Amino acid sequence: MSTVIRIGTSTCGQAAGAESVVSAVNAYVDRRQVPVTVQRTGCLGACHNEPLVEVTDNDVAVLYGPVSPERVSLVLDRHFGGGGGRWVDPSWILSRRPDHDDFPFLARQTKVTTRLCGVIDPMSLDDYLANGGYMALRDALRMPPEKVIAAVKDSRLRGRGGAGFSTGTKWEITRRQPASPKFLICNADEGDPGAFMNRTMIEGDPHRVLEGMLIAAWAIGASKGYLYVRAEYPLAVKALRNAIRQAAEYGVTGKNILGSGLDFEFVIKEGAGAFVCGEETALMHSIEGQRGTPSMRPPYPSVAGLWGYPTNINNVESFASIPSILLHGPAWFAALGTEQSGGTKAFALTGAVRASGLVEVPLGTPLRTLVEEIGGGCKSDRPVKAVQLGGPSGGCVPAELLDTRIDYEDLRRTGAIMGSGGMVVVDDTTCMVDFARYFLTFTQDESCGKCVPCRVGTRKMLGILTKICHGQGTHQDLERLTRLCETVRTGSLCGLGTTAPNPVLTTMRYFEREYVAHVDAGLCPAGICSMRPGTSTRAA
Amino acid sequence: MISLTLDGRAIQVQPGTNVLQAALSNGIHIPHLCHHPDLRPSGGCRLCMVEIGGRPNPAAACGLLAEEGMAVTTQSERLTEMRREIIDLFVSDHPLRCVTCDKNGVCALQRYAYDYGISETSFDFELSRTLYQDDNPMFVRDHQYCILCGRCTRVCDEIVGANAIEISGRGFVSHVATPFDWAMSDSTCVFCGNCVQVCPVAALMPRGRIGMGREWELEHVRTICGYCGVGCGIDYAAKDGKILYAQGFPEAVVNGEFLCVKGRFGWDFVGNPERLTRPLVRRDLAHRLGLIDDPFSLPEESVFTSRIGVENFVPVDWETAVDIVAGQLLGTVEAHGPDAVAGLTSARCTNEDNYLFQKLMRVGIGTNNIDHCARL
Repeated sequence: MSTVIRIGTSTCGQAAGAESVVSAVNAYVDRRQVPVTVQRTGCLGACHNEPLVEVTDNDVAVLYGPVSPERVSLVLDRHFGGGGGRWVDPSWILSRRPDHDDFPFLARQTKVTTRLCGVIDPMSLDDYLANGGYMALRDALRMPPEKVIAAVKDSRLRGRGGAGFSTGTKWEITRRQPASPKFLICNADEGDPGAFMNRTMIEGDPHRVLEGMLIAAWAIGASKGYLYVRAEYPLAVKALRNAIRQAAEYGVTGKNILGSGLDFEFVIKEGAGAFVCGEETALMHSIEGQRGTPSMRPPYPSVAGLWGYPTNINNVESFASIPSILLHGPAWFAALGTEQSGGTKAFALTGAVRASGLVEVPLGTPLRTLVEEIGGGCKSDRPVKAVQLGGPSGGCVPAELLDTRIDYEDLRRTGAIMGSGGMVVVDDTTCMVDFARYFLTFTQDESCGKCVPCRVGTRKMLGILTKICHGQGTHQDLERLTRLCETVRTGSLCGLGTTAPNPVLTTMRYFEREYVAHVDAGLCPAGICSMRPGTSTRAA
Repeated sequence: MISLTLDGRAIQVQPGTNVLQAALSNGIHIPHLCHHPDLRPSGGCRLCMVEIGGRPNPAAACGLLAEEGMAVTTQSERLTEMRREIIDLFVSDHPLRCVTCDKNGVCALQRYAYDYGISETSFDFELSRTLYQDDNPMFVRDHQYCILCGRCTRVCDEIVGANAIEISGRGFVSHVATPFDWAMSDSTCVFCGNCVQVCPVAALMPRGRIGMGREWELEHVRTICGYCGVGCGIDYAAKDGKILYAQGFPEAVVNGEFLCVKGRFGWDFVGNPERLTRPLVRRDLAHRLGLIDDPFSLPEESVFTSRIGVENFVPVDWETAVDIVAGQLLGTVEAHGPDAVAGLTSARCTNEDNYLFQKLMRVGIGTNNIDHCARL
């Protein structure tokens, strides 16, 4: 086996300069005439160490990062000689073992949906096939659709978009509808600030998502699948286009797939930048060419979705879980998680943590494991104050509740939600009023404007929070804010509005003293808020 | 039929009826702003929220299908508090200039603000839209009053099919717009004014109505539109004998609330001084028939190129006029045969009138020379 040099060239890698690293590696290989294969891969998840370079040989596998173009020859000389013993900083060496279990960031993870991200070349179908690709589809097509649905139900896979509805049950409902044709939608309109689970999965292993959708199509009887991807994810779109073309050439899309009688085609629909289009009814309107605003449910998409036909919408991660369920069996998948939810969940771990990136852990893992063991605590060496889950729709979990298990029900009890996987860690230099205000700025801006509680209510919530950050808040404002949160939560039309108060409600619940300090003493305990009207809300 | 209870009252409705329709048709009023009986439910105003037995959160009645055994509460302390809050939010972005507002008395938002005792907003007042567009002679768009209920955009899409307007932008600053905010006349608007009809507030107003009087000072006269054979019901609102605007009304059998541009805006001929209000006979014929003494001869030029002023005509009563026409027709038929006469009728007549006219021509006169302007 020849030596392989893998370079992570996902969006995160490219942002860190991976393209110039690729050029530097190629130049090195040309100059030294060493017999190696240079491979571009997706993201291994360790975004904080990008650009990542992995050199694997017969019995060696060394993962380096961050590798700047200047470090390329230093690092490669270690393997190909000729460096004259120049010093390589030991901190650049992240792992020396093929399974990376000496790298704390990766060692505590259980990778299912992201197993091949950063390992294979996402543009290569052969790489996917060599790692068990499309074997689950082959198996599924030999099973009656009902048995596929039963397997997904038995796996206890629940919607990874965050709502946590049983994926198998959703498939079953869609299958049962008499209307035809049926549609499939993969929701890749990932919009939470700081979230990049879908992007990493698609950029790193696009065929897995397609395979999951094809299995769903067989189970449901769908004939067309829309991949609704943010236009802000050009690399993901490119990877999907390439994968769809390869899948067609390979014969797993089109007519009579693998002789099963299943006809299926993929369509990519790029989103135009509206957060609300991640909401399933708004997303469908967008595909239909309508204004992307939500509509009332029921009818649910499973009953009457795209153009009124039964439509099954799942998140990227839900689809990416499917091949493993079929290959390793529902019992294996279920056993990974908790009593109510099987499998693993990917999180985009960001914020104050030392090691940020994409992590995947079994459901039931305590939050503390992610924040302290995988994330390595705060890079400021200060104490963790809270973790925001589920982005602007989610809530914050305070440090004292870090032993909460990652599970739909357990997290909901804290006031936060599982969400789609955004996880922002903050240390004690963060003002929680300002933090809530930040998320309200986002939701207020992204409200589609269709319903009043969200359109005007979030605006008023933001106004009150800004007032408090300016040192002008009163106890009446706090009381008003609480009442308004209730109106927006129960009165809004879609999930964007009903969850918009969550950041405020949870920070008020766990950090009430900070709100009171702003209002009573005119003080921002963290020293973040300017406490002066007419200025930015942030202190200089 | 589906049986459910509304505030404890047992009612029965057809399957597929939503709870709001069920309540309204049974005399139970649930507040609503975006709902319109002829449009698909939108669910944007959130005023029609009701509580359903066994469910933790209220739901919008307009989007809630009636189910067997459903127990719906339309009035409760929680709902009242919620509706008050929502109206409060509405009026934080809607000027309460009711005293000078032309919609005063028929404004749906004003009605609910009254019902729920909201005289001003408890939030900071902030106007999201200030655009005032009077780019057409039919109606004015005053965006500061708009509550974004979306009735106008839905009627334009679902009923008219013109799709001239849609909500543009996002969130607080979104507004109802033509493509690229072009002038109405540059859009696909057909000026039917059905958007004006369904607007619950003063955001869309007929131009001729503005500043002309309070709603309760107006006299309403219902009639059948004279423009074509469809026979739409039309309601003229007039003050001091002058029409201010025309509107449809839900009870109209043929058209419901909806009208076309002619019915809604093409009524100014009614008060035109040049409008003919009595039969007129040309002076030369009147003299020949002995109706007047003075002789009269036509000007030299052809009648088609020269204007013959009203002074060259003599007003007569209807009986005389009909006698003259009948006499002339019969005389022509006797002298030259029935085919010397031809009849041309009008699309503005009713189907019944047109049927009788061809009967008159074919049976009374005895010719097939009969045609209709709409065939041209």
